[in-house]
Amino acid sequence: MKRASQPTETPQVGRSIPRLESWLKVTGRAEYVHNLRLPGMLYGKIFRSSISHGRIKRIDTAAARALAGVHSVVTAEEIKSIVPDPYYGPAFLDQPVLAVDKVRYVGEPVAVVLASDPHVAEEAVHLISAEYEELPAVYDEVEAMTSKAIVHDVLKPAGTYPDLKHLQGKKNTNLALDFRLRRGNPETALKSAHRVFEHRFRTQQVMHTPLEPLVTVVESTEDSLTIHTASQSPSFVRIEIARLLGWPENRIRVRVPFLGGGFGAKLYIKLEALVSVLALLTKKPVKISLTMEEQFFTITKHATTFRIKSGLDREGRIVARECEVWWNGGAYADIGPRITQKSGFTAPGPYDIEHVAIDSYALYTNLPPAGALRGFGVPQLVWAYESHTDMIARALGIDPVEFRRKNILREGRPQATGTKMKDAAIETVLDRLEVLLDWKKPFDRGGGTLKRGRGLAVGFKACISNTTSLAAVSVNADGSCTVYCSSVDMGQGSDTAMAQIAAEVLNLPAESVRVVHSDTDVTPYDMATLGSRSLFHMGNAVKLAAEDAAGQLRALKDELKLPADAPVPDIFRKKYGMRAGSVTGTASFNPSYTPPDANGLTENATPFWMVGGTGVEIEVDTETGRVRVARLINVADVGTPINPKIVETQLSGGSIMQLGFTLFEKLQFDAAGQLRNASLAEYRIPGFLDLPGEIINEAVSAEQRTGPFGAKGVGETATFGLSPAVANAIHDAVGVRLTELPMNPESVYMKMQNK
Amino acid sequence: MTPFELHQPGTVPEAIALLGEEGARPMSGGTALMLMMKAGVLRPSRLVSLNKLGLNEIQVGPGGELFVGSMVSLRTLEKSDIVRRGWPVIARTLRTLSNVQVRNVATVGGHLAHADPHMDLPPLLSALGARVTLEGPKGKRSVAVESIATGYLETSLARDELITQVQIPALGSKRAAYLKCTTRSADDWPAVGVAVVLEGERSTIFVSAATDKPTRIASVEAVDALPIESDLHGSAAYKKHLLKVYLKRAMNEARKPAD
Repeated sequence: MKRASQPTETPQVGRSIPRLESWLKVTGRAEYVHNLRLPGMLYGKIFRSSISHGRIKRIDTAAARALAGVHSVVTAEEIKSIVPDPYYGPAFLDQPVLAVDKVRYVGEPVAVVLASDPHVAEEAVHLISAEYEELPAVYDEVEAMTSKAIVHDVLKPAGTYPDLKHLQGKKNTNLALDFRLRRGNPETALKSAHRVFEHRFRTQQVMHTPLEPLVTVVESTEDSLTIHTASQSPSFVRIEIARLLGWPENRIRVRVPFLGGGFGAKLYIKLEALVSVLALLTKKPVKISLTMEEQFFTITKHATTFRIKSGLDREGRIVARECEVWWNGGAYADIGPRITQKSGFTAPGPYDIEHVAIDSYALYTNLPPAGALRGFGVPQLVWAYESHTDMIARALGIDPVEFRRKNILREGRPQATGTKMKDAAIETVLDRLEVLLDWKKPFDRGGGTLKRGRGLAVGFKACISNTTSLAAVSVNADGSCTVYCSSVDMGQGSDTAMAQIAAEVLNLPAESVRVVHSDTDVTPYDMATLGSRSLFHMGNAVKLAAEDAAGQLRALKDELKLPADAPVPDIFRKKYGMRAGSVTGTASFNPSYTPPDANGLTENATPFWMVGGTGVEIEVDTETGRVRVARLINVADVGTPINPKIVETQLSGGSIMQLGFTLFEKLQFDAAGQLRNASLAEYRIPGFLDLPGEIINEAVSAEQRTGPFGAKGVGETATFGLSPAVANAIHDAVGVRLTELPMNPESVYMKMQNK
Repeated sequence: MTPFELHQPGTVPEAIALLGEEGARPMSGGTALMLMMKAGVLRPSRLVSLNKLGLNEIQVGPGGELFVGSMVSLRTLEKSDIVRRGWPVIARTLRTLSNVQVRNVATVGGHLAHADPHMDLPPLLSALGARVTLEGPKGKRSVAVESIATGYLETSLARDELITQVQIPALGSKRAAYLKCTTRSADDWPAVGVAVVLEGERSTIFVSAATDKPTRIASVEAVDALPIESDLHGSAAYKKHLLKVYLKRAMNEARKPAD
């Protein structure tokens, strides 16, 4: 496609331009790793554990090896010939490339068959058998605290995070982090409170369900590896593969084209270590593409239990809050311990509470591993604290909006950690929800077998810290611009946003900017595309790099004695005597951060706050318990939108995804830890017929003063408040309180029967 | 998925002959078959595609009955003016059957021969008294739709028998309704399905999805005695409750004056 790169004075941020890649995508030409085939490539298919916890006694691969067309069968033994200590992970070095000695959940990879025909490889997988000595298993996160079944014999923190160091070498525990925060004197304050409320909430394990399942292709030469992978964190992959192999980072190249969805499923290492070792073992290119079904055994969202207790004074002010959260991390920690802490410290919610206690526990269990999923643990917390808040308001006979307003955390006031709120439009979000819901007007409560109710919830999130993004921006001899950054466009529109930011600085049309996709040989380091951090961190880096490039152009003009308004091509022509050369601006963005002290307190917990509020009007079928959302309102503080249309689709998309987690999605395990619904036929996600009758998305007028052109992230914001808003609305409609997700028709109906 | 032969015969006798071999399976739309092959539940060595057989006409017979060729797609049936005018309950039922993509390729014959109790047309066509023509090596026979399914994914069809046509009696003075209830996403397989046909004082009732096969019951009260088990859609007790609620609703819907 031709794109003009004539200079423009029109503002480029704030434009709702269509995504730069939309033509490529709708015409089927966007690059995905799934379409990559290399000459001589082998396909790997994974043989998985059939039990949830046990010692591997024997793996019989003879029949699989004997099948015509099979290249080889690989187990942990062969893996160790390349990587003697084959364990990886961002928080703990706990996950083996293939199961070593033990299996810890049903579906854990145990062996791989390689063949040049994927169907042969798949057929051979069925010929493998394994014998196990079964061990006691634990599935519940609260039981895991005291269970005799121990998932890992010894804890092995990766050394990246200082708050995990004290767990080094610990035995006989499933606790992978015990984050503790104490502010004020919560115990005394609760004792002397006028009223005390205590509730317990649960969330279920669910899956990310990216439409493109995980896929990795690795090719090797004598001294280098090229990893083509559907990953949200190419820089981390390079670091971790380099560590596993003991190679310098410059011999490992990680390339990431487009992703067909990520939502946190494609972070850190997933298939990359396994496929890299397979390529080194076979000296051939190797590809593993998971099926949709295999994704259920790869990464999930934490199930949680949350006990929350609040003390109130006579005026209805929350004076103390105690939070105890158990995170079901599954068999491998993945990023769970970071979720436990980074989201854990927001567990009391966006309220101004003087005395706070938080205990947040990351737990190992014998279930598929859990990690980040669109909200980094925050939706689980908001579910509990916004249900709890509503329950208190109703018990006190105070309007839920008024009760929230009375207690809301205002600008400049300290949050639980002691960090003062800055650029967090919490009260504005609440105000706009109230207006958009027509909260003060009479409400049609339905009749007959269809009762109507409404509810709202407000949540907030601290963007993860301490993280870094680097970017480079080149201006070429013809004046065109190329952005080099390792942010991964997985559908959220980051390419378009980065192009708009660079274009704004350089006075170019955003459509003319080329964004080079992650390639660690070319694009500089970025922590990862996660936690709604890219727009803020990479956006700032791209802005600074573009400003650096613009500065270089200005210096050249001075040097060449060209007028300030000289076109860019003239600069290069004068400098080099022909159409030649380029300038490249670079920048690194690493916002400041202060780690928490022994009490979990810090004055600088996060570079920015995300605020999301949800309002719903629902209908409950009183004969069946079915809940239908008639009207859905998403209100968010996203700073100043770079691309308002993308902001809107991120808000509606996030809320629809959370609607599935709210009403019906659930991984259903039997008593032996076997997943009963590992397919999209039995694990349903929302379809078009599940959409609310009306969806309103609003970004409140706000500015993130430290963000690029006032902007901050939006990808997760609409997931925060939806679940409790629906629970609050159900209570409003039929007077029953659900405290466990999902709120499927049967659970609502049964609650109504036992009212 | 294991390798297989694919045949595309042009006539019904050829198709039947090709199905004579062990490991052969007929394929119409393939929407269910492909999933079962991917899951490794079915491993046919030969697929006999029926898409070149014609069998795709929708006609009204001399007695006012509806003749539907077995290879008519569910979407074609849904959009047929003949069906909308004479059998609106069928068009209504099809509108929420799976999704448009599936209805575009899934066929009426495949839908009936699959014998998954979660399907929408079998209980409705059973209640309407529909029959099918089966063709096999020994010739043709006619059986009631009601007697096709003998259990979960089990049928009374021989391996080399094909459904070639469906005959649905004229509605006449009959009033009919089909309702289903999903308990997860709206486009999920139903937890319960109920078909009700009223003619004067007489009512024909079929329930499905919660039972192993579409099952005729004499009255709403008979739900309690049905063999229903808890599954991922809900507990047995809840599904029995849903059946009663939906039977009542289907009765009301059938009694409603036609639009």
